Amino acid sequence: MRLLVVEDDPLIAHSLTAALGPLGNNVETFALLSQARAALAHSHFDLILLDLGLPDGNGLTLLAELRDRNDATPVLILTARDGIEERVKGLDLGADDYLAKPFSLAELEARTRALLRRSQQRTDNRLTFGPVCFDPATGIATLHGQALALPRRELGLLESLLLHAGRIAPREVLVDRLFGFGEVGPNALEVYVSRLRKRLTGSGLRIRTLRGLGYRLEEEPA
Amino acid sequence: MIRFRLHTLFLFSGLLLPCIALAQTPLVIEAALDRQVVAPLLEAFTRSHPEIELDYRDRSTLEVDRQAQRAPAPDVVISSAMPWQMARVNDGLAQPLESKQARDWPAWAKWRDEVFGFTFEPIVTVYRLELARHMLPPTTHAALYRLLVTQKKRLHGRITTYSPTRSGVGYTLFQQDARYSPRFWDLVAAMGATDVALESNTQDMLDGLSDGKYWIGYNLLGSYALRWAQTHPELIVQVPKDYALVMMRMAFIHRDAPHPGAAKTFLNFLLGSEGQRIIAGRTPLFSILADVVGPYTAQRLRDQVGERLYPIPIDASLLAFDDAQRRDAFLARWNREIRILEP
Amino acid sequence: MITINGTLKFRLALWLLIAVGGLGIFLLIEAYTSAHRAADRAFDSQLEAAELTIADAIQWQDGQPVVEIPAAAFQILATNQQERVFYAVIDAAGQEVTGNLKGFVQPAWRKEAKQNPVWLTIPQDDVAIRLHGRELDSAGWESQEPVQIWVGHTLSGRQALASQLFERSLTRFLLMVLLASLLMLLAIKSALRPIRRLRHLLRRRDADDIRPLHAQVPAELFDLAETLNSLFARQRESRDALLRLTADASHQLKTPLAGLQSTSELALQSTNPQTWYQALETVHESAARTSRLANQLLSLARLRHASAQTLESLDLGTTLRDCVMEWAERDIAQHHDLGLAPLPSSPVRIKAEPWAIREMIGNLIDNALRHTPRGSEITLGLERGTDEVTLFIEDNGPGVSEAMLDRLHHPFERAGRQDTLGSGLGLAIVDSIARRHEGVLRVQRSTTSGLRVSVRLSLSGLNEK
Repeated sequence: MRLLVVEDDPLIAHSLTAALGPLGNNVETFALLSQARAALAHSHFDLILLDLGLPDGNGLTLLAELRDRNDATPVLILTARDGIEERVKGLDLGADDYLAKPFSLAELEARTRALLRRSQQRTDNRLTFGPVCFDPATGIATLHGQALALPRRELGLLESLLLHAGRIAPREVLVDRLFGFGEVGPNALEVYVSRLRKRLTGSGLRIRTLRGLGYRLEEEPA
Repeated sequence: MIRFRLHTLFLFSGLLLPCIALAQTPLVIEAALDRQVVAPLLEAFTRSHPEIELDYRDRSTLEVDRQAQRAPAPDVVISSAMPWQMARVNDGLAQPLESKQARDWPAWAKWRDEVFGFTFEPIVTVYRLELARHMLPPTTHAALYRLLVTQKKRLHGRITTYSPTRSGVGYTLFQQDARYSPRFWDLVAAMGATDVALESNTQDMLDGLSDGKYWIGYNLLGSYALRWAQTHPELIVQVPKDYALVMMRMAFIHRDAPHPGAAKTFLNFLLGSEGQRIIAGRTPLFSILADVVGPYTAQRLRDQVGERLYPIPIDASLLAFDDAQRRDAFLARWNREIRILEP
Repeated sequence: MITINGTLKFRLALWLLIAVGGLGIFLLIEAYTSAHRAADRAFDSQLEAAELTIADAIQWQDGQPVVEIPAAAFQILATNQQERVFYAVIDAAGQEVTGNLKGFVQPAWRKEAKQNPVWLTIPQDDVAIRLHGRELDSAGWESQEPVQIWVGHTLSGRQALASQLFERSLTRFLLMVLLASLLMLLAIKSALRPIRRLRHLLRRRDADDIRPLHAQVPAELFDLAETLNSLFARQRESRDALLRLTADASHQLKTPLAGLQSTSELALQSTNPQTWYQALETVHESAARTSRLANQLLSLARLRHASAQTLESLDLGTTLRDCVMEWAERDIAQHHDLGLAPLPSSPVRIKAEPWAIREMIGNLIDNALRHTPRGSEITLGLERGTDEVTLFIEDNGPGVSEAMLDRLHHPFERAGRQDTLGSGLGLAIVDSIARRHEGVLRVQRSTTSGLRVSVRLSLSGLNEK
C-alpha cells in the first residue's frame, strides 16, 4: 500500500513512518502542501494522512482540490485543532476519518487499517476480515477457506458486520438489513447474533455487543 | 478750410451746449427780503451753480404768504413774517431738508428740519441826530416811553413805527413786545398820544426819518437801518439797551416745489459756510453761525450790545400770533390803546 | 458600539432656545404694545394739558366765546418732537371760532364729544394725526353755551418714544437672554462636571486596574457608576478565575512534566535496557496524560472566556448516540462496557451549541472511563421530562465519598484520587457547559454504588409531546 503523509512536525512525521511502515506500507512524507500536491499529480496513493495546519496553507484546500477532481483516495485528517467546526468542515469536504492530536499510535493503526480495507473493497468486491470472507456476488461465506453453510439471515448479518469490519455495526442498520421494516421483537436480532457467535467460536474472531449501540466483529484478543 | 470751420463749430457748440442744458433748471424763490440787500448772496449762488436759473421774486410778506398757499407753488419761500412761515410749515406746506448743512444748523434756529431761520436781524430804534440837540436820545424802551410822555408836544407827529395791520413783521414785533412787558401797552398809548405814523415797511420809515419827517422810528429792522445809516449820517441806529428783539428770516422748500433739487441746492448754499460767509461779510443780515467770520455775525452783535438780544423763538408758540382770534383780540386792544390818550 | 447622538450641551441649549424663543416672542409683542401704549399715554397727556391751557383762555364777550390762545398751548402741543399742531375752538353752532382745522372735525365727532372726551387717530392730508376733542361748559355774562376744544398733533414723537421704549425693552431682553445663556452654560458645565470627573477617573486608570470606582457622583449618575463597578467586579472575578485557572493549570502541567524529566533523567543514567523500557512506559503514559490535560485546559478556557455563540436546535438523542458510538470505537474504551440505554423514540430537541454538547458528553465518557476499573459498566442515557431532559452517565465503579460529591465539578478535583489518570478537569468542563446552557449538573451515587452524573437541560419549544 502507498501512503502519503502530509505533516510538518518532524517528530510526528517520523513516528507515523515508523508506525505504519512495518505494516507493509510504503510511506512518503511531505512537510508542505505544494510538495504533496506535486506528488499527487503524478502518482496514486491508497491513503492520505493530512495535517491541517501546514506552513504553506490549510490542508483542507488540498482535500477540496482532490474531491473537486473526483479523486476518491481516502483521507484521514490529523489535527491539533480540536474544534468541532474544523472537524465538520473536513468531513463535509469529503474526509473519511478524523483524528485529533495527540493520538495513540494504536488508534492510528486501527483507523488506517479500517480505511485501507474499505479502500480495497472498492476495487475487490469480496469482504474479508481475518479468516472470514464473503463474496456478495456468489453469496458464499468462507472461514479459513472452508465454506460456511449459513442460513439467509445469518449470512446477511455476517455481511453487515463485515461491511463495518473492525467498527461498530449500528443496531438499527442490522435490524433493517435482516428484517426489513417489518415488526420484530426486541430480542430477534440477539438470537441471530448468538447463533453466528457460536459458528465463529474458535475462529479467532468474536462479535462484541455494545449495549444500545450495536455489534462489532473483532479479532479476539490474544 | 471747410473742415476747419466745421471743427470750430463743433468745438464751439461743445462748449456751449452743456451751459444751455444746465441753465434750464429754474428756481422760483418767493422772498420778503430786499433784492438789493441779498444781491451778493444771489450772485455768489449763480456763480457757483450756473446750471440753476434764479427767479427771485421780491415781494411783501403778505404777498409771499399768499403765493405760498397758491398754485403753482414756488420752490423756496423766504419771509420775515415768522408766524406765517411757521403756520405754513404747520399746514404741511414745507418739505424737510436732509443734508449736512441742515443737520449742523443750530436747533434754536430751525423747526422740524423744514424751516430755517438764516439771518439774525436786531430790531432797533432809529432817531435823527438833531433829536439829541433837544433831548436825551432814548436807549431803552422805558426811556422812549418817558420821552414820549414828557416831550409829547414836541414829538407830535414825529414818531413812526410799523402798522400791525399792514405789516406782518410789525404785527409780530408788537406781539412779541407785548409778551415781554405789559408796559408795552403804555408805550402804545403814549405813541398814540403823539399821533404816531404807521408805516408798512422799514424803508418807508427810514425815508421819512432821512427826510426829517420823523424824528424817532420804533421797531425798525436793524439790517436795513444799519445799511441805510452808513450813507445817511443824520440817522443814529440804537439797539435798545434793556432788550432788543431779534428777527430771523425763515426759509423753507415748498412741499410742491417744482424743482426740489435746485431748491435743496439753494437752501444748502444758504445754510452752508459759503452762503453764511457772504451774509456775514457782504449783507447786513447777520449770520447766526458762531464759526463764521465777518462784520455781520450774531456773535459780533452780541459782543457789541451784550446779551440782551432776544431772538423771536422759532417754535410752536409763533403759531399763537397767527391765530385769527388772537390777532383780532390783539388788534382790538391796539386800536383801543392807541386812542386811549386822545383828548 | 458607541455612537455620538448629539451633545448634552446642544440639547440643553436647544431647549433653552425654544423656551427663550417662545417666551421672547410673547415678551416682545407685549413690549411692543406696551411701548406704544406708554407713548400714547405720555403724548395724550400733552394733548390734555394743551386742551386745558386753551380752555383756561376762553372768555365770553358779546355772547361769543373769545379765546386768546396762549402760546404755551402750542408749545405743549408741539412737544419737543416739533409736531405739527392742530387745534380748533368750536362753538355750540358748530362754527370754528378759531383754529387751523378748517372744518376737519366731523359733526359725528362733535356729537360724541358732547358725551365724552374723544380720542382719534386719523389720517389728515397725507399724515396720521392724533386728535382729542372735549366739550367745555363755559360761563359768560350773557350766555352759557358749551364750547368744544379740539387739539391734535402728528405722531412722530409717539413713534419715536415707542420705538425708543421698545428698543430699551429689546436691549433688556437681549441682555437677559445673554445672561441666561451664560448662566445656563455655567449650569451645564457644572452639571456635567461629575461626568467629566468620572471620565478623568476612568481615563487615568491603568488597563488592568479593575478596582471599584471611588467617586462622588450625583444621584443621576449613581446607576452608571454602579453599573461600571459591577462590570469591574465581574471583570475582576473573571480575571481572578482566569488567574486561578492558569496557576492551577501550570501547576498541573508542571507535575507530569517534572515526572517526565526525572524519569527520563534516571533512565539516561542507567545502562539497563529493562530500566529504559520501564522509564519509556512511564514517559508515554505521562505524555498522554499531559496532552489530555492540555486539551481539557483549552476547552475550559474556551468555555469560560469565549463569548456565547448562537444556539442551534439539535436532537440530543442523535448527538448522544453519535458521541457514544465514536467513543466506543476508541482505544481507551476497549476494556470497558460502554453502552447506551434505550433512547426516547421521538427526537429530543434542545437549544444548544453543538460542539459544547459533544464536548460535554465526551468529557463525561472520558471521565467515567478513566475513573473506573477495567471491565466496569458505563451507561449513558436520556430521561425525558415534560419540559426538560436529563442526560446521565452512570457506572458501577467504586464511586466517591459523600463529602467529595459536591466538590467534584471544581477544576483539579479528582475525588481525592491521585492515582487514577486524569486531571480532574473533566467535570469542571461539564459543569461549565451545563451552566452555559442553563442546565444543572448533579453528581450522585448510582444505584450500583458507582457514580451517577446527570445534566438537566431545558427542552426547546420545538419538541412534540
